[in-house]
Amino acid sequence: MSSLETLARPATEPANNLLPRLAQRGSLLVFGLILLVFAMTAPNFLSAGNIANVFAQSAILGILAFGLTCVVIGGGNHVVSGGLDLSLAANLGLCAAVYSSLNNQGCEAWQALSLTLACGVLVGAFNGLAVLLLGLPPLLATLASMNLVAGLELVLTQNSVLPTESALLASLAFGYWLGVPALAWVLLAVAALLTLLIQHSAFGLRLYAVGEYPEAARAAGLGLRRYVFSSYLIAGACAAVAALCSAAFFSGSTTGSGEMLLSVVAITFLGVVFSRRLTANIPGTLLATLLLGFLINGFQLLNISSFWVNGVQGVLILLVVAFSAAVAKQEGHA
Amino acid sequence: MSAPTLSLRPAALLERLLPAILPLLVMGILLFFSLSAPGFLSVGNLSSLVLNNFVLLAVVAIGMTWAVAAGGIDLSVGTALDFASLGFVVSLNAGHGLGVAILVALAAGGGAGLFNALLIAGLRITPFLATLGTLFIGTSVQQLLSDGGQPIYIAQAVLPGISGLLLLGIPLPLYLVAALAGAYGLVLARTRLGREIQAVGAQPQLAYYSGLSPRRILARVFVGSALACAVAGILLSSTVNAYVPMSGNAFLINAIGAVFMGTTLSRQGRPNVLGTLLGVLFINVIANGLLLIGWNFYWQQVATGSLIFLVLAASFYRRRTP
Repeated sequence: MSSLETLARPATEPANNLLPRLAQRGSLLVFGLILLVFAMTAPNFLSAGNIANVFAQSAILGILAFGLTCVVIGGGNHVVSGGLDLSLAANLGLCAAVYSSLNNQGCEAWQALSLTLACGVLVGAFNGLAVLLLGLPPLLATLASMNLVAGLELVLTQNSVLPTESALLASLAFGYWLGVPALAWVLLAVAALLTLLIQHSAFGLRLYAVGEYPEAARAAGLGLRRYVFSSYLIAGACAAVAALCSAAFFSGSTTGSGEMLLSVVAITFLGVVFSRRLTANIPGTLLATLLLGFLINGFQLLNISSFWVNGVQGVLILLVVAFSAAVAKQEGHA
Repeated sequence: MSAPTLSLRPAALLERLLPAILPLLVMGILLFFSLSAPGFLSVGNLSSLVLNNFVLLAVVAIGMTWAVAAGGIDLSVGTALDFASLGFVVSLNAGHGLGVAILVALAAGGGAGLFNALLIAGLRITPFLATLGTLFIGTSVQQLLSDGGQPIYIAQAVLPGISGLLLLGIPLPLYLVAALAGAYGLVLARTRLGREIQAVGAQPQLAYYSGLSPRRILARVFVGSALACAVAGILLSSTVNAYVPMSGNAFLINAIGAVFMGTTLSRQGRPNVLGTLLGVLFINVIANGLLLIGWNFYWQQVATGSLIFLVLAASFYRRRTP
């Protein structure tokens, strides 16, 4: 809609607009406020052990959301024609099933690990090809591949739980380093790696250009397809890493991983509000993941029914999006 | 087909053949399964196929056709369906008559649509995110009301028995599908509102500059979509004689798939109700037929997924080529 006009403004102009800054600070403030309320009311909320636990429990959702963030950056944030990967959660299910069954068949650790990664990246490549070669809108391409991948997972697992154990999973699930659980380290490591790649490298800058203003990126001589394709590959790899975390957390593959999809989408679009320019970004996604993790954790500590979590999440999304819509409107008029 | 000159360029050939693909596919699989699957044509199988699968998905997908035609997507179809089902069951159990129960159900389902409309038109939230938010809130409300997902059964004395009624040998729900398809289809294809919906879907900026209010039109579209889902909710709870929390989400993915498969029927690739119905038929017949010829349930999913993918790919491959 008015995004064209917004984008056409010189990007170098410092944001002296009050609303966007308020949006970023405001959402950080809300985050801080929620933490403060829980810290004062919930017993043990601020203990190091509890905080480390929240990080570890957020690992699976967070890493999936990082993958979606990359796709949204590379495809633009228009939901129907822009970047979207609905197959992420199903991809996680398939990867976890692949790892569990390979591991149970007695494969070497490195073989199981690399084949699982390959599986995730392959699904990503399939999505990328469907979007770029066949010209399907990402929403539909990944919707169809979600069905396919979920079917393959069912074939592999016969819709049952595949329990498995390996040294890798044990160290992920029970390992501690500097008093922090291994899963939390994985979350932070993936976040750091992707922040470097997406927010601070030439590749990341170009990925943003391709997503936000494809015409300008093309005119500047960027190969659009390469960047969009690689964003789907990154998403696939994220699904595989998240699958390992999930296999460690549940000691094997589980059914019903597809239910995580909508939470992943919600987290990614929530993360948008933590950025100054209101675009999808990795640190914002990390903050949104943790916000949700702390919410669920605080509810548990306060003995509030977990049935409220979905509703609070929904209200948060709507508030955030309504606010950024108001900001975009204000910018369009300025 | 009736092409005056047969072009040899594959892309052009595909373009001419495209509108025929979906009807031919549906006829093909119907023929295939009636020959190869024992019992496919039996009355018991056909009526369960129609009543348990086709009717519900068709009604939801008819509403989704409007949403997609307007350039959005309705992720909260399940919420509207479940709310309607809940309202229907609760008011029947409270001793109200069938008419009151239906009105309550329509109001409850339409309420979810009204909430979407307020978000989209009032707060300028895009339909995708607005309906995502509604879906989350709706899930929470249902969990709180149903103690985490316990079904509520309709008391024995007040069973509505709508879905079992036969009129001239044809089950009542089929008439309902026909009526809804006719109404939603005619409005979309033949009326001013329909043209405005399509304008907003194809070129929102242009529609805005021509004096239309895209947000107001979107608001009507999402109330319309929710009302169709409410009808599906009434049908569902009178088939299973209960309200089962969060059961509506199962229709979401297939409804979207059916609508986009249906766009192959139109030369311009526009969503249309007839195409949507064919898409629904395609999805349901494949699943039912593969089950009957003894395919493993899990491979069925893979096969259905691949076929949907192929139809979608064919449809968009044409549109991509300039």
